[in-house]
Amino acid sequence: MNAPILWIGLPFAVGLFILFFMRNRFAAWLGGTIAAILALIALIFPIDTALLVASVSIKISPAIQFFGRSFELNTADGPLLAMIYGLAAFWFFGTEASKTESRFVALGLMIVALLTASIAVEPFLYAALLLEVAAMLVVPLLVPHYQKAGRGVVRFIIYQTLAMPFILFSGWMLAGVEASPGDLGTTIQAGTMLGLGFAFLFAVFPLYNWIPMLMEEAPPYATGFLLWVLPTFTAIFAFGFLDRYAWLRSTPSIADAILFAGVFMVASGGIFAALQRHLGRILGFAAIAETGLLLLVMSLRTSEFTTIAFLTLIPRGLELTVWALALSIIKRKAYTLRFSEVQGLARKYPVAVAAILLAHLSMTGFPLLAGFPSRLALWQGLAVESLTISFWVFVGLLGLLVAAVRTLAVFVMTSSETKWEWNETWTQTIMLVIGMLGLFLLGVFPQAMQPFIASLPTLFEHLGQ
Amino acid sequence: MLILISCLLLFVTTLALVLLRVLQPNARYAWLVAAGGALLAMISVFVWLTQMPFDLILPAWQPVTLFMTPILFRADGVSWVLAMSVVALTLSVMLTSVTRQVFVNSLSWAGMLALGGMGILAATANNPLTLLLVWASVDLIELFSQLSSVEGEANNERVVISFSTRAFGIGLLIWANILSIAGGSTFDFQSMPANAGIFLVIAAGLRLGVYPLHLPYSAESVLRRGFGTGLRLVGAAASLSVLGHVQILPTNFTPFLIFLAIVAAIYGGWMWLRAPDELNGRPYWVIGVSSLAILSALSGNPIGVAAWSSALVLVGGALFLASVQNQWLNRAMLVGAWSLSSLPFSLTAGAWLGSLGWFLPLVVVAQGLIVAGFVRHALRPAGRDSLESQPGWTRIAHPAGIGLLLVFQLLLGWVGWDGALQVGAWLQAIIASLLTVGLVWAARRFRVFNPVRAHWVTTAESRLNSLYQGFWSLYRGLARISQAIIVTLEGEGGVMWTLLFLVLFISLLSQGIR
Repeated sequence: MNAPILWIGLPFAVGLFILFFMRNRFAAWLGGTIAAILALIALIFPIDTALLVASVSIKISPAIQFFGRSFELNTADGPLLAMIYGLAAFWFFGTEASKTESRFVALGLMIVALLTASIAVEPFLYAALLLEVAAMLVVPLLVPHYQKAGRGVVRFIIYQTLAMPFILFSGWMLAGVEASPGDLGTTIQAGTMLGLGFAFLFAVFPLYNWIPMLMEEAPPYATGFLLWVLPTFTAIFAFGFLDRYAWLRSTPSIADAILFAGVFMVASGGIFAALQRHLGRILGFAAIAETGLLLLVMSLRTSEFTTIAFLTLIPRGLELTVWALALSIIKRKAYTLRFSEVQGLARKYPVAVAAILLAHLSMTGFPLLAGFPSRLALWQGLAVESLTISFWVFVGLLGLLVAAVRTLAVFVMTSSETKWEWNETWTQTIMLVIGMLGLFLLGVFPQAMQPFIASLPTLFEHLGQ
Repeated sequence: MLILISCLLLFVTTLALVLLRVLQPNARYAWLVAAGGALLAMISVFVWLTQMPFDLILPAWQPVTLFMTPILFRADGVSWVLAMSVVALTLSVMLTSVTRQVFVNSLSWAGMLALGGMGILAATANNPLTLLLVWASVDLIELFSQLSSVEGEANNERVVISFSTRAFGIGLLIWANILSIAGGSTFDFQSMPANAGIFLVIAAGLRLGVYPLHLPYSAESVLRRGFGTGLRLVGAAASLSVLGHVQILPTNFTPFLIFLAIVAAIYGGWMWLRAPDELNGRPYWVIGVSSLAILSALSGNPIGVAAWSSALVLVGGALFLASVQNQWLNRAMLVGAWSLSSLPFSLTAGAWLGSLGWFLPLVVVAQGLIVAGFVRHALRPAGRDSLESQPGWTRIAHPAGIGLLLVFQLLLGWVGWDGALQVGAWLQAIIASLLTVGLVWAARRFRVFNPVRAHWVTTAESRLNSLYQGFWSLYRGLARISQAIIVTLEGEGGVMWTLLFLVLFISLLSQGIR
C-alpha cells in the first residue's frame, strides 16, 4: 500500500466517481465514510512502519513518483491526515442535513485530496500550483447550476490566482537567497514576494473582501467548507516555508509584518462583524478574525507555536461546520439571511439557533467552548510580547461577542403568542447536537486533541526551536 | 474529593429528576428525590468542616507546557460559607416549593439543583481559569433557562442584555489575567498585581449591574419565587465569589470605583425601600447588597465580600421564598435585619473591617436603606397565600424551608468560617442600625417613602437607559462608517482600492525590512 495513493489518489478517484455516478443521499454517506476511514487509518497505522496484523504484514510506503515529481507522506504526517480527513468526514456527513448538492461531496473530496497533495509534493513549491487547482475546483461548488458566477466568486478566483505567481517567483528567488545569504536586495525582494503571495492566500486586510461577498451570494455550507479548508492548508504550507528557510524565522521585520497583519485581521474582522446585519456576512468576518488569530500564532516567538496553531485549527474546523450547517438550515426558511428575515426564528428552529450561537461564541473564545483553550494559550503568548497588541486582539474578539449578542437578540425577538416548534429534521438535529457536544468537549477537555497535536510539531523540524 | 461529592449529589439528583420526568411524569416521589438530594448535599458540605482547607484538582489540560494552571477548587474559611449558603438555599427552594400551585416533577427543580451544584463550584473556584469555566456554565444555564421561560419581545431582550453584560464581565476577567501575565505573574488570584485586581472588581460589578449602574434583568419573570430566586441569588453569589479570593490592592482608580459603588448601593437601597413588593424589588436588592460586597472588596476586606454574599443569599432567599402568610414566620424573618446589621457576632459582623475613609458615612446610609427596606418587606407580606388551605405536611415543610435559612443566618455568625465570631466595626453598625430604625419609623409617616408605582419604576429605568441610548447612537455612527468602507472595498472599484492598499503595504514592508 502506498500513502499518497491512499490519501490522495483514492479520495480523488472516489470524488470523480461520486461526481458522475451518484445521487445526493448516498454521496454524503459514501464521501463521509471514506473520509472517516482514511482518518482512522491515518490514526491507527503509522506510515512507513511494518505492522503485523494476525499473520499479515502491512506496511504503508511513504512516497510515489508522478510525472517526475515526488509525493511523500511520512510517519509525522499521520496525525495531520487524521485531523484533516476526520474534519472532512464531518463536513461530508453534514451534506445531507444541509441539503447541499451532491457535487459538494464529490468536489470536496477532490479538493481535500489536492490539498493533501500540496503538503506531500516535492519540490514543495509545486504546492502553490495544487492550491490554485483546488481553488479552481471550489468555483463549481460556489456557483449554483445554470447561474452566472457572482462578484464574490470572481474576486475569490482573481485573488487566489494572483497569489500563485508571487509564491512561485519568491520560490525562485529563495533559491538565490540560500546560495548567497548576504545579498540583502534579493532577500528583500524574495521576502516581499512571499509576503504578497501569502497575503492573497490568507486573505489579509484588505484582500479579504471576497469572503463576506461570497457569504452573501453563495450557499453557506459550501462557503464554510472553503473557509475551513483553504486557510488550514495555506497555514501548513506557510509553516513549511518558515521551517525550511532559517532567515524567514529569524528576520524580526517578517515576524512583525505577520503580527500586524494578524492584528489587523482580528480587529477589523471583529469590528466589522459587530456592525453587520446579515448572518452570512457575520460568519465571514468571524472566519477572517480567526485566520487573523492563526497569523498571530505564527508571529509568536515561542517554542510552542505549532502546538497553539493546531490547537486553533482543529476547533476552527468544528466551529465552521456547525455554524455553516445551522445557517444552511435557517437559509431554507429565510433566504437572504438578513436580520429582518430571521427575526424570531429561535422558536421555530431552536436547535439550529443554539448551534449558531454556540459556534459563534466558541469563535469569540467564550470559556467552556472549543475555541477557548487556544485563545487562552494565545493570550499567554501575546501578553508577554505586547499589551497594545493584546488590547487590539481583545477589541476584535469583543466585536465578535457583540455580533453574537446581536444575532441572539434578533433570533429571540418575537411576540408572546409565538409557540415553540421544532422544524429541524432528525438528521439535522443529530448532526447539530453532535457538533455542539463536540464544541463543549473540546472546550472542557482540550486534551482530547492531544493524540493529534502531540506529534504534529515533529512535522516541522526547525520551528519552535 | 468532598467538593466533588457535594456537587455530584446535586448533579446526580438533577439527572434522576430529568429521567423521572421522561419515564414517569406523574411520579409523586419526585419531590422526595429532589429534597433528599439537596439535604444530602447540605450534609456533605457540613462534613467539609472536618477537613478544611482542602483542594480538588481536576486532571490538567494538555499540553501541560501551555496550560500550567490546573482547574482547581478549594474549600477554605471563605469559600465554605458561600457554598453552605448556596446549598441551604437549594434545599429551601425544594422545601418551600410544596406550596406552589403546580406541584409535580418540575424541570425547575432539576434546574435549581444543577444551579446549586454550579454555585458550589463557583464558590470554591480558586483560580481565574476555573472561575471562567464556572461563570460561563452559570451564564449559559441562565440564558437557556430564561429564554425558554420568558414571553414577549421586551423580556427576551432583557435576557439577552443580561447575558451580554455577564459575557463582558467574563471578558474583563480575561483582560485582568492578560494584565497579570504581562506583569510577570502567573494565572492565579494570589499573585495578581494591583492594576489587574481592579479589573476583577469591575468584572464582578458589571455582571451584577453595579458598574455601570443598570438593571441586569427585569423584575417581571414567570420564574418568580422558586427557581427565579435561585437563579438571581446564586448567579449573584457566583459573580461575587471572585472577590472573596483576592485582596484588592488600592490604586489611583479605587476612589472612583468606591464612589460608583456607593451610588449604586444608595440607588439600589432607595429603590428597594420603595419597591411595591419584595419580588418587584428583587433586582434592587441584588444591586444594593452586591454594591456593599464590592465596597468591602475595595476596602481590602475579602471576608466582608463573603459575608455580604452569604447575606444576599440567605436573607434574600428567606424573604423571596416566603410565599404564604404565617405570623410567626413573618416575625422570625426579622432575624435577617440582625444578619444585615453588621453588629458584633452577626453574619455580616466582619463586613467593614477594611478602610473606606471619607466614604464611610455614605456607606452607612446605603446599608441603612437596604436594612430598612428589608424590614418593611418582611413585615408587609401583602398578597401572600395562607397555609390554612394546604395539606398537613406542607404546613411543616414550607416553614422548615424558611426556618432553615434563618437558622443558618444565625449559625454562620458564630461558627464555621473566617468571618464568624467577629466583633467588627461595632460603632458603624450601631449608627447604621439607628438609621434603619429611623427609616422604618419614617417610612410609615412620610409620603416620600411610599412604594413607587409600576409606571414610576419604568420611568426611572428609562432615565437610566438614556445613557445606553448614547452608546447606541455611537454604535450606529460606527456602523455607517464601516458601511462606507465596506461599500468602497466591495464595490466596482474594490479591486483597485485593494491594490492601492497593497502598494502601500509593500512600500511599508520594504522600508521595514531595510
